Amino acid sequence: MYSKSVRTALLLILSSAFLLSFACKGGGGGSAERKLTIYTPHGQDMLKDFVARYRSVHPEVNVQFLDMGSQEVLARLRAERNRPQADLWWGASHLTFQTAADENLLSAYRPTWADKIPAASRDAQDRWYGTYQTPEVIVYNTQLVRPEDAPRDWDDVLDARWRDKILIRNPNPSDSMRAIFGAMIWRYYKDTNSAAGGYDWLRRLDANVHEYTVDGALLMQKLARGEGAISLWNMPDVWVYKEQKGLTQLAYAFPSSGTLVITDGIAVVRGAPNEEEARRFYEFVTSVESLTYAAQKYYRLPIRTDIDRNQLPAWMNEPFKQMDMNWDLLRREGGEWLRYWDAEIRGRQRN
Amino acid sequence: MKTISKHSRAFILHPSSLILALVVGVVLLYGVIYPSLRLLLASLERGGAWTLLNYVEVLRERAILEATFYSVWLSVLTVLFCALVGVPLAFLFERYEFPARRIFSVMASLPLVLPPLVGTVAFIFLCGESGILARAVQHLLNLKSAPWSLRGWGALLLFHTYTMYPFFYVLTGAGLRRIDAGLGEAARSLGARPARVLFRVVLPQLTPSLLAAALLTFMTSMASFSAPLFFGGGVRVLTLEIFNARQRSDAPLALTETVVLAVISLGALIFFQRYEGTRRFVAAAMKGAPRRRQPIRSGAARVIAALCGAIFTIMLALPVITLLLVSFARQGSWTTEALPSAYTFENYSRILTEEDALSVLFNSLKMSALAAIFALLWSLCVASLVSRRKLRGRRIISLLVLVPWALPGTVVAVSIAESYGQPNPLTGSFILVGTFWILPVIYFLRFMPLVVRAVQASLEQMDPSLEEAAASLGARGWRRFLRVRLPLIWPGALAGTLLAFVIALGEYVASVLVYVPANRPVSIAIAAEMRDFNLGTAAAYGMLLIVLIALSMTVAARLERASKV
Amino acid sequence: MIQCINFFCALLMSFLSLQNISKRYGATRAVVDVSLEVERGEFFGLLGPSGCGKTTTLRMVAGLEAPDSGSIMLDGRDITRLAADRRGFGMVFQSYALFPHLNVFENVAFGLRARHLSQKEIARRVAEALSMVSLNGYERRGVDELSGGQQQRVAIARAISIEPRLLLFDEPLSNLDVALREETRTELRELVKRLELTALYVTHDQEEAFALCDRISVMSEGRILQTGTPRGLYEQPEEIRVARFLGRNNLIEAVRLSASHAEASMFRTVEGSHTLRVATHVGANLPLNKPCQLAIRPEHIQLYRESNERATTENELSARITSVSFAGATTTIKLDADGLALEALLLQPEGFASGASVTVRLPPERIIILK
Repeated sequence: MYSKSVRTALLLILSSAFLLSFACKGGGGGSAERKLTIYTPHGQDMLKDFVARYRSVHPEVNVQFLDMGSQEVLARLRAERNRPQADLWWGASHLTFQTAADENLLSAYRPTWADKIPAASRDAQDRWYGTYQTPEVIVYNTQLVRPEDAPRDWDDVLDARWRDKILIRNPNPSDSMRAIFGAMIWRYYKDTNSAAGGYDWLRRLDANVHEYTVDGALLMQKLARGEGAISLWNMPDVWVYKEQKGLTQLAYAFPSSGTLVITDGIAVVRGAPNEEEARRFYEFVTSVESLTYAAQKYYRLPIRTDIDRNQLPAWMNEPFKQMDMNWDLLRREGGEWLRYWDAEIRGRQRN
Repeated sequence: MKTISKHSRAFILHPSSLILALVVGVVLLYGVIYPSLRLLLASLERGGAWTLLNYVEVLRERAILEATFYSVWLSVLTVLFCALVGVPLAFLFERYEFPARRIFSVMASLPLVLPPLVGTVAFIFLCGESGILARAVQHLLNLKSAPWSLRGWGALLLFHTYTMYPFFYVLTGAGLRRIDAGLGEAARSLGARPARVLFRVVLPQLTPSLLAAALLTFMTSMASFSAPLFFGGGVRVLTLEIFNARQRSDAPLALTETVVLAVISLGALIFFQRYEGTRRFVAAAMKGAPRRRQPIRSGAARVIAALCGAIFTIMLALPVITLLLVSFARQGSWTTEALPSAYTFENYSRILTEEDALSVLFNSLKMSALAAIFALLWSLCVASLVSRRKLRGRRIISLLVLVPWALPGTVVAVSIAESYGQPNPLTGSFILVGTFWILPVIYFLRFMPLVVRAVQASLEQMDPSLEEAAASLGARGWRRFLRVRLPLIWPGALAGTLLAFVIALGEYVASVLVYVPANRPVSIAIAAEMRDFNLGTAAAYGMLLIVLIALSMTVAARLERASKV
Repeated sequence: MIQCINFFCALLMSFLSLQNISKRYGATRAVVDVSLEVERGEFFGLLGPSGCGKTTTLRMVAGLEAPDSGSIMLDGRDITRLAADRRGFGMVFQSYALFPHLNVFENVAFGLRARHLSQKEIARRVAEALSMVSLNGYERRGVDELSGGQQQRVAIARAISIEPRLLLFDEPLSNLDVALREETRTELRELVKRLELTALYVTHDQEEAFALCDRISVMSEGRILQTGTPRGLYEQPEEIRVARFLGRNNLIEAVRLSASHAEASMFRTVEGSHTLRVATHVGANLPLNKPCQLAIRPEHIQLYRESNERATTENELSARITSVSFAGATTTIKLDADGLALEALLLQPEGFASGASVTVRLPPERIIILK
């Protein structure tokens, strides 16, 4: 009978709605325990590890994290400006942090180790501090490119033999790629005071690009599978994929003229609902032990100067040449450069 | 509209219509009108002043004009390809009888319920440049490099056709079932050749169904995001440009592009609306009526038909099979090989034992169920209201109800987040952003049009004199509703609600913008695992989602069958 | 005091009374100024071609539509604005409107459940209603398992189960085949009379209305043309539309010649210029020398073979047979009397062949003057 099934279904719906409302209450009912919400692009593996380590010390804290790209974090903080959800923002380039700081999205906190890092790696008003250094490198697939044939410097990737062999991560959401593109433009800008030369460089790169990939994981995967031979990407990721994700064919090279180094930071969100917890976790992940652990396990180069270098992997202590970069200019003009690249350069050099 | 007025023989008015009107008005105001207006106003603002500058800029930018053009062009091509696949398929399955036809015909609408994100992931695994198929072909033909790349127009059209042809398949099938077979026979007896019968008799009658399918395909394609993101290559489309502009923090541009996209979609909707297609679609999507099919008698033809069906079904199922395979792949065992080299249950055990991972599934279920239930209740309100002939603004309500459906998911999420992210005149200090409820609300808004249409369609099929009979027998408003109207529209309403539920389960594009830890849905978990290169876990989540969807469909089919006894 | 007045009103007025009811849909005037009175226990018909407003009138009585103006009184009470579900009328729909999701028992019990009767009482009354339509034993059947006639009877049982104050029928027999229709209509009338119910019956079938109803209102274009008993309507139609609608009629255009006796008038037909005497007092009021319509039923025309020597007598015309068509019990003969076309209906057509010359007699007392 129709009516019977309707009655059953209605009963089902009502009872499930009832149960659900209870379930929702149950979720909110746990507010007695201390909570901490972290926005972060650091990836689940590393996050879960650190959260577990943190909870072994502070089991009473319910740590939740939202794992997303750094630009998405920024967009979210903007959207939630009037009702902040996050307590801590862990991970993004210092440029992104500075933008957020200027938009008054971060709250000042001076960590206990504030004087243990170079002044350039922190905000003068304590709104963010640097945690890791992220060198940007040339990555290649050793099955397709012998180390001696790999590009040695930035300009080498423009060579015609890499035509259709380069994979580049979509720079719009990526701090690393924005910085690399910015650095390339800056190389010309500092002499000509114009982005034209840099645009030209990017055009020649575009001519060699096989695909702009959606995210870092696909970039690494496609590179390892030989869809492209070389790429530009950050070094810690290459290590992670090489050592932990089984993509052993990946290798990298420092550009000989100097590599770009991004400062990865951490900050407390303005209006954080659990500011105390945020600070505690802040201190935890930037402690010497945590930084050393991150260096050993996740290939993150610590910025703090008071770390026992002997504890770090040997390769971290090998010196590399840093490239000079006008970060302020990038922060001011980067958006426009990227817009221009997106509209006028991307994909227009093919045929 | 004629069909509605048939229904509207209003009984002498009772006050419940006032309450109904109030409910409908409030939800539309808060859910549709205010957010849309806000979005529109924001696109007209720059630096605190009203200006058309944003539009001027958009219209001057070559990349954006290209994106607009390519979006439309891609959608048109998608419609074409989907029609080419879906219509013949519907003819095959509706008009002929051959072994295993039933199974194939059910399988054929499978992509309809495959969440776009899961589909995309499966496609990458399967046909990507270094996916299973490409590798297999490469090994087989001993090629030096991959035989194809899953990028650009070809890839986009392939994926769009795969995911959207069911619109044509389902609607054409429903249309064919409605057409009187006698008409074709009459035409044949008048000496018309089969081709002539097809073009002069059958196709003209199918036109409404075909137009409805075209509209659905067009709009879905305009709003398609995952596919251009992953397979687009250099193809610029609006959804992607909006995404990139947002990522660059270029909010005014993103907003303006959003409005351009919304206007195109709404334009298409209004243009096609008189064909009233979506209602038919939902009503037809899950219902089958028995009809005499022509058995294929010749042995060879039977074998060929069954074989075609089998090949086709395997093609359809391949992405899902791939997903299944990858979900058992050991972490790190599938990098450069054609097939994963080692298998394990680890991925599943990880999901099913970790509290976090399980809660993701529970969240999705909970939110989709909430959204679907409210959508059902709401559509009963709307349908009751709109079916009254005397009501002014009936058509406006119908159109407003459809607006969230015409807008891409990103747009709905952004407009809701913009509108309810700060104290505003409508809600006072209540802020939705950052709460658990934002996702159920968005799911509700995005998918309630499907339910409304389903309920409306059922209501139109109902003989209005039934309710009049109930009234004349002394049944008051509520009794009439519960004992007559509800049982009669139940199958259609259930089908629509279920479709909304199933689609909400896999929702990604809107969720990604506004989810919070308390409501992290399964689609976000899949994306996160993909980002961390945990392909096996991502695939396992995908499989669990598919299983959930299959389960809900089965339950609904049971309910519906039970109700027909 | 007021009760007292109401009581007297009720005594004076009929059971159901429609007073100047009008209803329009947009620009269409569906019902125009309709008034009618139905007595208690009467089987009242609304007869008219489709689209004449009879169904709309019925629906307003049922409360399914609200009249734009006018009032509906039942037993002295104004029910114009009373909701359908509070009127307590039984209604039988053209489509039967049986609830497809309920079985026969539940369909019949529907109105009783709405009245919150006890299970026992419901069971008793359903059984009673079903036995009245001879459907006992069908309680558990689904309505779609029944034949058209059975469905129809379920619809009737459902309507009478609530012991309605008024029973409304909206062309309930039009979906049945001819034989079943005739059988059912006899049963229906018997049932309504046995239960002493008052019924309002809408139909477009003249024969059906005549067989069923005590009195009938003929409607056209939203108005009531004439109300009367079936016999009265048939024999004395007052209007050309009524005459045309109720069976076949010879319509003759004619001009009144002189004011002769009070009980008869002389007319000259426009076609054929025959002089006719019409034995009725109605003619006295007609203006002279103005065309008007006369009507005579085909069965009232008398035919004589030419050999008969009476061709010059009163109301007798010479005519030629143009066609003879046999229809079983009767035969229709078409005639041409110097340009005046006539139709006669004969029971015994022997000796009349196409082309033959005959004498036609139009009995004066059978000729009707129409308005």
